Amino acid sequence: MRWQFVASIIGILLVFLGLSMVAPLLVSLYYQDPSRDCFIRSIGITMLAGLVLIILSRKQSRDDYINQKEGMTTVALAWTAIGIFGALPFYFCPEFTNFTDAFFESVSGFTTTGSSVMTNIEGTTKSLLFWRSLIQWLGGMGIIVLSLAILPFLGVGGIQLYKAEVPSPVPDKLTPRLSDSAKILWVLYAVITLVEIIFLLGGGMSLFESTCHAFTTMPTGGFSPKNASIAHYNSAYFDYVIAIFMILAGINFSLHYQLLRGETLAFWKDTECRFFLGLTLGITLLVTWDIYGSVYTSFKEAFRFASFQVTSIITTTGFATADYEKFPGLSQVLLFIAMFIGASAGSTGGGMKCARIIVCFKYCYRELFKIIHPRSIRHVKINNMVIPDEVLRSIMGFLALYIALFILSSILLACMGVDMMTSFGAVAACIGNIGPGFGTVGPTENFAHLPVMGKWLLAWCMLLGRLEIYTVIILFVPEFWKK
Amino acid sequence: MKIIIIGAGEVGYNIASRLASENKRVIVIDKDQDAIRHLSESLDIQVITASGSNPKVLIDAGIKETDILLAVTDSDETNLVACLMANLISPTTKKLVRLRNNDFYPYHNRFKKENPHIDTIINPETEVVNTIRKLMDVPGAIDVGDFADGQVKYIGIRLDSYSPVAGMRLIDFSPKFGDDRPLIAAIIRDDEVIVPRGNNKIESGDLLYFVCETQKLEQTLKLFGIIIQPIQSALIIGGGRIGERLAKILEKDSIKTKIIESDLDRCHYLSEQMDKTVVLHGDGSDQKLFLEENVGQSDVVVSITDDDETNILVSLLAKNLGVQNTITRIEKSSYFPLLATIGIEKVVSPRLSAVSSILQDIRKGKVLSDISIFGERGEFIEAIALETSDITDRPLKKLHFPKGAILVCIIRDGQIIIPSGDSVIKPGDRIILFALKQAVKKLEKLLTVKLDYF
Repeated sequence: MRWQFVASIIGILLVFLGLSMVAPLLVSLYYQDPSRDCFIRSIGITMLAGLVLIILSRKQSRDDYINQKEGMTTVALAWTAIGIFGALPFYFCPEFTNFTDAFFESVSGFTTTGSSVMTNIEGTTKSLLFWRSLIQWLGGMGIIVLSLAILPFLGVGGIQLYKAEVPSPVPDKLTPRLSDSAKILWVLYAVITLVEIIFLLGGGMSLFESTCHAFTTMPTGGFSPKNASIAHYNSAYFDYVIAIFMILAGINFSLHYQLLRGETLAFWKDTECRFFLGLTLGITLLVTWDIYGSVYTSFKEAFRFASFQVTSIITTTGFATADYEKFPGLSQVLLFIAMFIGASAGSTGGGMKCARIIVCFKYCYRELFKIIHPRSIRHVKINNMVIPDEVLRSIMGFLALYIALFILSSILLACMGVDMMTSFGAVAACIGNIGPGFGTVGPTENFAHLPVMGKWLLAWCMLLGRLEIYTVIILFVPEFWKK
Repeated sequence: MKIIIIGAGEVGYNIASRLASENKRVIVIDKDQDAIRHLSESLDIQVITASGSNPKVLIDAGIKETDILLAVTDSDETNLVACLMANLISPTTKKLVRLRNNDFYPYHNRFKKENPHIDTIINPETEVVNTIRKLMDVPGAIDVGDFADGQVKYIGIRLDSYSPVAGMRLIDFSPKFGDDRPLIAAIIRDDEVIVPRGNNKIESGDLLYFVCETQKLEQTLKLFGIIIQPIQSALIIGGGRIGERLAKILEKDSIKTKIIESDLDRCHYLSEQMDKTVVLHGDGSDQKLFLEENVGQSDVVVSITDDDETNILVSLLAKNLGVQNTITRIEKSSYFPLLATIGIEKVVSPRLSAVSSILQDIRKGKVLSDISIFGERGEFIEAIALETSDITDRPLKKLHFPKGAILVCIIRDGQIIIPSGDSVIKPGDRIILFALKQAVKKLEKLLTVKLDYF
């Protein structure tokens, strides 16, 4: 492990983070709100820390090649560092009384979770709300992917970092060169965000709120500058616009790219995308049927609220227009399960990812098939591509670890005196990067009342979920540290 | 610039690695999942696990907007079909093919003119056979190659302690040898590549790279105390394609040749093909067979089986039995740094020579050749001096040559000019330079040529 090397990359990313804080500073200057000094101080500290790391690690001759282990360590530590320094603007702001809350909010932002500890969101400054949205937008497509796109400093070694930040069950590169792929992803992402802003403006939302909402829809984040989230507007137009963009954000971005290149049937041809869209529709219809009559009297309303809640949860965004805890049992169970399934691989969504679920079922079917035809040779395929056994094993391992970590974290949270539904709900919502959970952390409540240790645990769960388990958990394996 | 490479073997890997490091968009297609994964993990390229001769795969890979297609699998048939399909789908893509089977040789020209319109056919095995033949004759040489269409050679030799030049300073060469002095490009000592200056001393045990006119080769080697003795007898281990061709050439030169091959059917085939060559059926690393056949008396032992480890073992065994001159075929580039420590220095590698000929072939502009030595630590560059560059029309002493680079010689109208401080390079001259890896970039700037591809 070349620590100097790891440190130099983290240093570069911190300088980068410091630069991105200039945006909310400008917002603060525009609105002349009191957060100006918080941002100036945060920028100073972050840049200084970054520069110190870069200077200290400068002696190391930069060998391009990074191995997988170094890549994973770098990414895991970089995300932790970004979480810490990204928390500074919150910490310096009067609404936050301790660093735990600031760190929780920051990690929740960068990992696009959207769980908040802020009780009165509308009471804080616009610039801080903007920062809250911006960190989701940066974290959604990935900070390392962004730096690969605009800073060509990593060369060959970038692959390992890219793989550690965007672990895809089925590896997929859009173009031969990594920096080109990263550029395409970010441009696509930015353009779709811009389109959403225009749609929201068209519906009469203010520029500031449109931008904030688009910045948190596209990364499937879920922070809203309003206390009541999207419910604040109570408008069918906004509900449907945001729901559609959440779905777009939950689809593999390489399919968007194919669509733009003229493959009109790209979504339909892709097994995972069909599964994702079908599943979303299926659950929406079931929930509509379940809440029609019992909660809402008109079918139109039932469908509108069902579709929004379901897309919000399955894409792991976490916006709310209704309190699903008031829905009947079936709807709640379906939404809880949707939290685990998550969006497509290669999208900005979290959860286990549809591709892994499909592979898992196909794998199980193969096992059953083998019992019936013991000598059969059968491959697990997605999009007519054979999934190699090695990838299969890694996917099964991922699913097992995901469940195991969910169970372990729920138990730990319950140990801190949190009730059962809240423990399950909070952990599922954080590890899946969703936002609102169940129990006392539902869509109308927040995470402020949880114990301090619980917040650190949940922040860790968010990182686990965002970096898809392996990148983070590997640091906790003793073998990793043996020479 | 988009390049599709079919075949992720040693050739494909090395080319992809060079091109990717020069920021080209590279796509590699291969059926072998393991090879593909190895590539995608270590290089910034796109990979496709499929058959490269399949038209659908080629279309998916974007052959239509591809500039160059390199078909370099180990299978000639796959390579040819891939080119055929590429020619149908995208006639404008340039096609380079590795063809190893000699039986295709008479048709090479027709392949170029008719379907599938291949732009370049590379047969590294012919080159390797030629290199082996050259290496055989020069006992101390560990590396031989050509510049200027064979008029000039570069040679790498290991200096013995009884060499007359051992202990001399380069500055003393000129008074002693006059115009016949060897043009030393690089000294490799204790794993370090030194670009020599006048007061550098040559020591015994050094590995020297020098350049000389092909006609004066014998004379120049004599200065180093190396006398070319035509070999009388040779032993070849491995009767594959290279072995067969080498044996035929040796037969023509009336050299007593024995060839050991482990596959009985292949032995029968070889003995049908040869008249005088003794074909032996046996294992190359069988010491008993070596003693039986009196291997120690051979002038040269050439081990060119398909297996690197066997080849290394055979060469060590032969050295142990008293054979000074051994030539070893090694394909895995990762072995090269280890070889000097175990005393194996004359190495040939068909795959790596394929890599360098392919790269040379697709290089654009005024760089004629670019040959890496000593594990890519240094490079020989042969280029045409451009009028637009700073190096022409002024005495060399006024030039600021980058540190770690040296002008080895100037070739004007087929004549070698030994550069001195007052020499002037004229536009259109061929120049041969040597540079350490880290100096190559600066040298490119000076020459105002880029090591680019078309």
